[in-house]
Parts: sequence; structure tokens; C-alpha cells
Amino acid sequence: MSALDSAAEERSPLRELIAALGRSRTFLVGAAILLFWIFCALFGEFIVPYDPLADDIINSLLPPSAEHWFGTDQLGRDVFSRVIVGSRDILTVAPLATVLATVLGTTLGLITGYFRGLVDDIVSRIIEAFMAIPVVIVALLAIVALGPSTLTVITVIGLAFSPIIARTVRSAVLAERELDYVAAAKLRRENALYIMFGEILPNVLPPILVEATVRLGYAIFAVATLSFMGFGIQPPSPDWGLSVSTNYGMIGGGFWWTVLFDSLAIATLVVGVNLIADGVAGTLDD
Amino acid sequence: MQLENPAIVAFILRRIALSLVTLVLLSLMVFFGGQVLPGNVGRAILGPFADEASVQALNQSLGLDRPYIVQYWDWISNFVQGDMGMSYAFRSPVAPFVLDALANSCKLALVAFLIVVPLGILGGIVAALNVNRPIDRIISLGGLSVTVLPEFVTGIVLILIFSIWLDWLPVTATWPEGAGLGTQLYHLILPSLPLFLVLFGYIARMARAGMVEALDSDYTRTAVLKGLSWPTVIRRHVLRNALLPTITVIATQTGYLIGGLVVVETLFRYQGIGSLIYTAARGKDFPMLEAGILTIGVVFALATLAADLAYTLLNPRIRLGAET
Amino acid sequence: MKDYRLLDLLRRSRTPHENHLIDGLVDGRVSRREFLRYGSVLGLSLPLLGQIGAAAGLGLMPGSARAQAAGGALRVAVDTPTGAIDPVKTPDVGGLVMLQQTGEFLCMDGQDLVLRPMLAESWKPNDKGDVWTFKLRKGVKFHNGKEMSADDVAASLNRLADPANGSNALSVFKGVLSKDAVRKVDDLTVEFHLDAPNANFPYLVSSDNYNAIILPADYAGDFEKNFVGTGPFKLEKYTPKVGASFVRNDDYWGDKALLDRVEFTFFADIQPQILALQGNQVDLINQLPVLAGAGLLNDPNVEIISIHSASHYQIHMRTDMDPFKDPRVRRAIALSLDRDKLVKGLLRGRAQPGNDSPFAPVYPSTDTSVEQRKQNIAEAKQLLEAAGIKSGTKVPLATQRFQEVPQYAQLVQNAAKEIGIEIELNVMDSGAYYGDAVFGKSTWLDSVMGITDYGHRGVPNVYLSAPLRSDGSWNAAHFKNKEYDTLAAGYVAALDLEAQKAAAGKIQKLLLEETPIIFGYFYDHLSAVRKGVAGVEPTAMSQTFLARASKK
Repeated sequence: MSALDSAAEERSPLRELIAALGRSRTFLVGAAILLFWIFCALFGEFIVPYDPLADDIINSLLPPSAEHWFGTDQLGRDVFSRVIVGSRDILTVAPLATVLATVLGTTLGLITGYFRGLVDDIVSRIIEAFMAIPVVIVALLAIVALGPSTLTVITVIGLAFSPIIARTVRSAVLAERELDYVAAAKLRRENALYIMFGEILPNVLPPILVEATVRLGYAIFAVATLSFMGFGIQPPSPDWGLSVSTNYGMIGGGFWWTVLFDSLAIATLVVGVNLIADGVAGTLDD
Repeated sequence: MQLENPAIVAFILRRIALSLVTLVLLSLMVFFGGQVLPGNVGRAILGPFADEASVQALNQSLGLDRPYIVQYWDWISNFVQGDMGMSYAFRSPVAPFVLDALANSCKLALVAFLIVVPLGILGGIVAALNVNRPIDRIISLGGLSVTVLPEFVTGIVLILIFSIWLDWLPVTATWPEGAGLGTQLYHLILPSLPLFLVLFGYIARMARAGMVEALDSDYTRTAVLKGLSWPTVIRRHVLRNALLPTITVIATQTGYLIGGLVVVETLFRYQGIGSLIYTAARGKDFPMLEAGILTIGVVFALATLAADLAYTLLNPRIRLGAET
Repeated sequence: MKDYRLLDLLRRSRTPHENHLIDGLVDGRVSRREFLRYGSVLGLSLPLLGQIGAAAGLGLMPGSARAQAAGGALRVAVDTPTGAIDPVKTPDVGGLVMLQQTGEFLCMDGQDLVLRPMLAESWKPNDKGDVWTFKLRKGVKFHNGKEMSADDVAASLNRLADPANGSNALSVFKGVLSKDAVRKVDDLTVEFHLDAPNANFPYLVSSDNYNAIILPADYAGDFEKNFVGTGPFKLEKYTPKVGASFVRNDDYWGDKALLDRVEFTFFADIQPQILALQGNQVDLINQLPVLAGAGLLNDPNVEIISIHSASHYQIHMRTDMDPFKDPRVRRAIALSLDRDKLVKGLLRGRAQPGNDSPFAPVYPSTDTSVEQRKQNIAEAKQLLEAAGIKSGTKVPLATQRFQEVPQYAQLVQNAAKEIGIEIELNVMDSGAYYGDAVFGKSTWLDSVMGITDYGHRGVPNVYLSAPLRSDGSWNAAHFKNKEYDTLAAGYVAALDLEAQKAAAGKIQKLLLEETPIIFGYFYDHLSAVRKGVAGVEPTAMSQTFLARASKK
């Protein structure tokens, strides 16, 4: 449990947190990587040498050269330009999915943790049944059913991750609900909704924050994986997972440049976000 | 001797009952979730260009014109009796397909485990003995970094390095029919590596945490004060306590390993339970899909149960019955 | 040199249809290739066709290549069959390759699209073309020892034509051959009484109709147990999802197979097949998609067998929905495509450009005098302006993840962008795209614009009816045109090659004007073999006949 939720702590916790994060090398490295990709997502379009969508089919599958740093793909598009601009979709979809999961999971966790009893039992069983199926399979079934679209991916990942967040929130709430301030609120006959969201929620924010940053890492993981399985972001987006998915069938032909750079891009982004999560968790724990 | 403790027996029974409830819920979700998949079964089997009359004739012969609830009851009651049903697409019993695929997945998971468990624990111990030194940083951060990488990313890079550039390992996990154990293992090394990377970080972290705590504890200090040598202290006291949380992690990750193999199996074209489910979902082969998912559910439930039991038996201090 | 006396001799006892065809050859109206192909449909035997060709001064039939050595085993990579191997129901490539390893057809449609006798020795239509009589080969034995007779043939084909059996061949036989329309005349003669005259009927009982293998009359629906058939190989072992092996049938009616055995390994995807070929784990890849196979095309250890086919992707545009109500808009999109570049770049030259009708260059009846549509951005822009379409108009395009379709879709998208149309892609799983495959419950049939895969057919009849006729069950363009319907019916009934060509020309021109569907290219069927393997006979239908195959 973190030290920040102690009622005695009155100094601005936010400012302190930021200062502490500034001292965390893990956090700073992660943040630098993430900022680089955010920059590429926002402005990459204006700095890349080629239009990432423009085909030049006669010059397809050229190996890396001075002209095309990362070579060209099946349709003769410039791989370097596509890798730079390719961060855009994943950096839109994954954070939105995380927000959805956090909101849903927090609500669910507050309700189950606060009420306990039958509600808790039922919801917990459903959550457990849900978690027994691998996330990829859940997502796959849902996307086959609903048709692939960015909105579906956000919804599916948001829903699939919410039970995990709910679990974390629930255990934090279980500890909180025994504390005096909750009992006091109950004595004041505050309604349950207010106690949950007005009183308990602010005190369980730190674990939620940690959980959300961790989930963001997994959301990026999941979005990329779904794109790779062909159920995520739609062509002609230069999305990394999608590019790997469409090109890795030719890996035996020696066209390594069509998959390697996209794979490395995913790797750096995922590691970056996880370093941030680690930094945040470490700072809150200290 | 611990099993004589009624609290523990009650706890175990309760866990088993809850697992059963979970499995029933899972079967319902899978069955009715499957009905949402677009397209109908006859169409999926005969293809888009078959005549509509053929499709309807086939659907009728498969009994798909009956109400869902009847179909569900038929399926689940047979399933409980060990009959997994007939595949729509292959028109033969599902069980051999599912069991074969499960066996294949288990082989892959086993190879991954055999590599990752000793190495992970070793890594954790080395890190714990060097807390906050560079080697600890490397193991902890490196472990974390590879753990969070999607399997297809590490898989692609590994294929490029070991199959395409070095030409050491085969790129597909499927070995020639009738291959011996050696050849099978040879084909399984590369596909098991992405799983190794995912698990290594977890296991090393847990082992490190358990180890650090144990090193710090009173009984270790007492043992050292008693004049026991460091290697003895570590072997007798520290290791046992450090391994406890690690066992839990390993058990819970079994579920991930058996079930979450879809991506690795797709990447390496391996006929495991993950790819079985994937193909069945796309072909609307419900008996196959449901049997596959429920089998994963059972494995998952058993693994969780085993983890709980191991933890309870090894650590009597757990708050029995207080887990809700 | 033409030998008129010999020709006269050969013309004797030929029907008027046949003599008309011979006239065409002599006058030069019909090319040698067309003559061979169409003559084979009418039931002229190949030696006879060869003699007529020689007499007309056009040289003999090409002799089939001599095989090198006998014995040995050949290892074949093929897509995993998606379901049970069942002659009645199997719809997929992996399954149909299994069927034809032990099963045989009345006639075979080979690489050159010329029909050859297989289990039938000869066939002949009546004057109207609505009754076809097939003479069967004598002394053909099923693998279970029983001799094949007219009863078996009638039972096999009636089984496929019966709607109650859920047969995959029903879409081919619909409107052509009804249940019980196949009748035994004597032990070695069967008659097909068609619903309407059909000049190309023999194709529908040839290897083109991959379900139409001849089974014993008492076949009980258990093909997978024994693969009972009449072919040069018989089943050794079949393991679902894994593979199958076959051994030489020493009781075969024709030349015995050269190989001792063939071993098929099933693969879920093409990439491992390529790696297996490169790694010498297999000798032959049954079907190689050009995009995935790019790395093999220049491999010195590999030979690519390329066959022109009528396989293609149809880009349909809803003629009853905006913005495609106006044929000018549809033409504009068609004009935006650079077909030569598509063929050269995307297909690596392994395709032939399409002219927005199902009449592929491979069909002898295609009127080649109809002008080929070429890219013309200026004209396309003018057409859009005339139709009042603003730049930036958005159009959704739905399609399936299948071979190079997503890439094709992106190229179409970029081409349309050039003329100011913004195409939004929705690439989905094949199952989701086809949905229930009936109107109202299928993205394929309901979408404004879509790209659909159509496999090869030996004759264009099915392409002309189901996707284009007003009542067509695959008419995704919702194209309703009375004139077209009449022309298409006329084409199907025309018994004579020139009449077919004339009808084809009219249809081609009408479709260029209306353009409900863009036919961008017809792609070749590719197989890949390791050097040293000879005599493999793939078909445009993705079958692989291995009786003459050998391995060094």
C-alpha cells in the first residue's frame, strides 16, 4: 500500500510526485522514448521523405539504400516513412482503450469492493470466467462478431482489461472501507454513490494510476497483437502491427526490411511505456 | 498432515466449487457468444459460392435449426460425460483434435518451462544477491523489457536471426510426421523462445523479491548469527522461502502458456490449442470452438487451483477462507 | 499446306456443328488453339483434332513431355483442407486436390484448357444441344475391385444435382442439370437431359467441376475412410489436418503412374510451404500466390509452372446506390486503374489485363477485337464532372483478407484518389465479408463497393449469370439490365463458336459501357517445383495431376 493515502499527508502530493518522477531515471528514459513517438505521430507526416501511402508498384520490395533508408514494401511504399508515421494509430487506440478500461474497472471495483456480499460474488465469478479465456481469443471473437474497426478494438480491449483493473481497485477499496472516514460518512448518512466516488475514490487513486500506466503498456501490446492477427487497424494505415502482419509471409524470401523496423518500433514503444509504469510505481512505493 | 485441518479442506472444497461455477459460466459465454459470430455454419462449411438450398440442407442435417437452448443443453450434457461432440467441418469427433492440439501446446509449454524456470530463478537469485548493483539492474530492467514485448515481435526478430540469417533453426514448429524426440525438440526451440522471454521477467522478478525478503528476515539473521556458512543459510532457509511466491507465478502462468499461445502458434504455424480455436472460430465450427475454449478453461482452473493449493500447503499462515 | 482430300475424309460422319467448326479452322476464322479447345467440347477426339489440324496445315498437337525416370516418392505441400474430404461438399483447394488424387472425372480440363477424355471416351450433343450422350471407357475398376458402369456415373452426378444433398456443385448445375436428369442408356452410355441447351456442358462434368468425381453407385458418404475412386493412385493413409499419402494403383486402366507414392503435407499457410520447398522438405507447392511467393520467382533451384486462368477479383459497384447510380462514375473508377502496371508490379507479370467483363483472354469465345480499356485520368475526371460528382466524395470499399486482395484494394484506393474519390477501406475476415451470402445478410452482397475473389472456371457461363444477371444470386452490383440478360442467355445457348464470339462481343461492349464490375486482371495459377521434378500437371482449378510426374 502506498504512503500517499495516509490522511495526515497534506503537502501537495501531485507536485511531490512530479518532483520524484523527475529524479527517477527509469521514468525519464521511458518518457523520452514515448515523447519521441508522440512527436512522430503528430508531426511525422511533415518530416518524412515520402508520402507513406503513395505506391510505386514497379519499385516494390527494394532493399534499404540511400534513397530508401529502410527499403520499400510490397507496393513500393517507403518503409522509413511508414515506420515514422506508423505510431499514430496505436498511440490513439491504446490510450483510449486504457481510459475506457480504467473508468469501467474503477467503477466495477468500487461497487464490488464497497458492497461485497452477493454482488461481489456474482461479479467476481463473471470476471473470473472472463479471465479464463486468453484476451487475444476474447478480442478475436468479438472482432469477428462486430467487424474490425478502430472503435471495436478500443471497446474490446477496454472491456477485456476492465476486470483486471477492477480487481486491483477492489482490493484497495476493501482496505479503505474499514477506515474511520468511511464509517464517519456512513454515520452522516451519505448515499453510497457519494461515499464510493467522493470519499473512497480519491484515496485509491495512486494504485489506480499505477495500474493504468501498466495497462497502457499492455494495451499497446494488445493493439499491436490484434493488428498482427489481422483484426485491428485497417489498411492502408502504416500501423506497425499491420505492416508486420502483411509482410511476414514473405520473410523466407529474404525481405527482412519489411518486418524488422516495424517490429523494433513496437518494441521501443512498449518498453518505453513500461519504463514509465515502473518509474511511477517505484516513486509511489518509496 | 495439513489436510487434516478442516479449514484447509473447506477452503479446497470451496475453491473447487467456485472453479466449477466459473466453468459453467464460461461454457454459457462461449456457447452464446459463438452464436453472435456472423455467417451461418452451413455457409462457412460450403463456402460463399454454394447454392442457398445446399446450405439449408446441410444446416438441417447438423441439427442447427433447433432452438439454441436445446443445442446448448445437448452439448453441455454430453461434454460432462466426456463426449465433446462432432466437428461440423470434419464430421468426426472433436475430442481427438482437441486432445492432439492440447498435447502439442503442452509440449511447447513444457519446453518453454524447462528453459525458463531454472534460468528465471537463477536470474532472480543472482539479482537478489547483488541488490541495486549493475547486474541486478540489468537482470531486472532487461527482464522487464523482454517480458512486455509482444510475442510476435520477439518471434519475428528471432526468426530473422536464427532461421533466416544464421540458418540454425527451422522456422516452422511443425516437425515431419513420425519425427523422433530430438527432432521435435529441435523444432520447438525457436517457438519456445518468445514464451521464454515473456516469462523470464516475471519469474526472475518474483524470485528476486522473495529472495530479498528472505535475506532480510529474522530467521536469516539468526542463522547467520548462529555461525552457519552463507551457502548453507541460502540453501536451507532463504531458497525455500524465496521459491514460494515463484511457484504461484509459475502455476498462474500455466494458464497463460496453454491458452495464450494463439499468437506464437500462428506465427510458427503450430497445430496447438490456440490455433485450433482460431481456425474453429473463423470456420464457425462451434463444437470444436467450444470444446477448445472450455478445455483451456479447465486447464486454467486446474492450474489456479494447484497454485492455491501449493501456496496454502507451503504457507500455513495464509488467511484461510478470507479471500473474498 | 492444306490437304483438302484428307479434310473431306475427316469431315465424313461429323455433325453440322463439328463441320462448321472445321470450316472456321480452314478459313482462318478460328485459331488452332480455339479449334482444339472447342472441338474437344463437342466431343471430337484429340487424335482426330490433331489429324484435322494437320490436314489443315497447322501442325500436330503438341506431344506431352516424356517423363524421365520411374519410381520414387514425391512430396507435395498443399493447403490444409478446411473440412472433411467429401466429394459432395468439399469447396476448398486443399480438399479438391485430395479428391482428384484418387477420383477421376468424365473428362479432364488440362493446362491448355482443352478437354481430354478421362472416364468417358467420347461425348456428343444432339442438334439442339440439350441432350448430351457420353460413351464410357470400358474396363475401369474402382479401387475396391468393382468395375465402373453407367450406373455409377448416373448415381454420382445425380447425387450432386439433388438439392437435398447439400452439394457444393449445385451452383454449377442450377438451371442446367436437375436431379435424375442423368440416365443410363446401356452399361457404357449415359445421357444428360439438360434444363436448357448448353454448348459447353462437358466442362461441367469435367475436372473443372471438382466435386464431379465418379464414385461407386452404392457410395455411403464415407469417402474419407478409403478415398474410393478409379485413379492412378490409391489411398495409403489420410490424417485430417496433417497429411495424406497415396501409392500407385497397379490395376489402373491407363498408363500406370510413374511414381511409387505421393506424400501430401497440409499447411495452414503459404509461408511455411515456401520455406519447406527451399529447405528440400517438399518437392512441389500446389498453389503459390504470387505476392507471398515473390522470393521464389527468382530462385535458381525452383521452377515455377504458370498457367493462364480465368481466376480474378471482381470490384463491384452498387448500380442502385450513390455515387454509382450513374454509369459514368463507374466508368471513371475503371479508367483510373493502370492495368499494365498492376500486372507488371503487383502480379510480377503473372497475369493478363482484364477488360471489365468476364471474358478472360483464355476463353476462345472472347472477342479480342473489342478495345482494351486503358488508364485515362483526364477522361475519368471529365466523366465525374459531367456526373456532378465533387472532388473528395467518400466511398466505402469492403473486402476480405485473401491473398493480394488487401494490396489490390490499396492500389485501387490510391488510383481513385487521383480522380478525387476518397475510398475508405474495410478489410475483413473472409467469413465476415461473405456473411450468410444472401442479400440483406452479407457485406459482400450489400456493400456499396467491394472486392470479391472468383476462382477459375473453364467456361464463363457462371460468371455471366450469377454476378451479372438481374436474378443472379451473387449480383453484388445489383446490376439489372434486360438487354444484358437476353445477351447472356443467348451466349450460353449458342452452340457454335462463332455465334458465341458474336454474342461475347456484344456483351463485352455493353459491360464496358455499363461497368457494374471492374475486372482488373486475370491472374495465372502458379505451382512451384524443385528442379529435377518433371511431368507435374497442375490445372487452373488448382488441381495437381501426378500420374505422369517423376523425380530425378
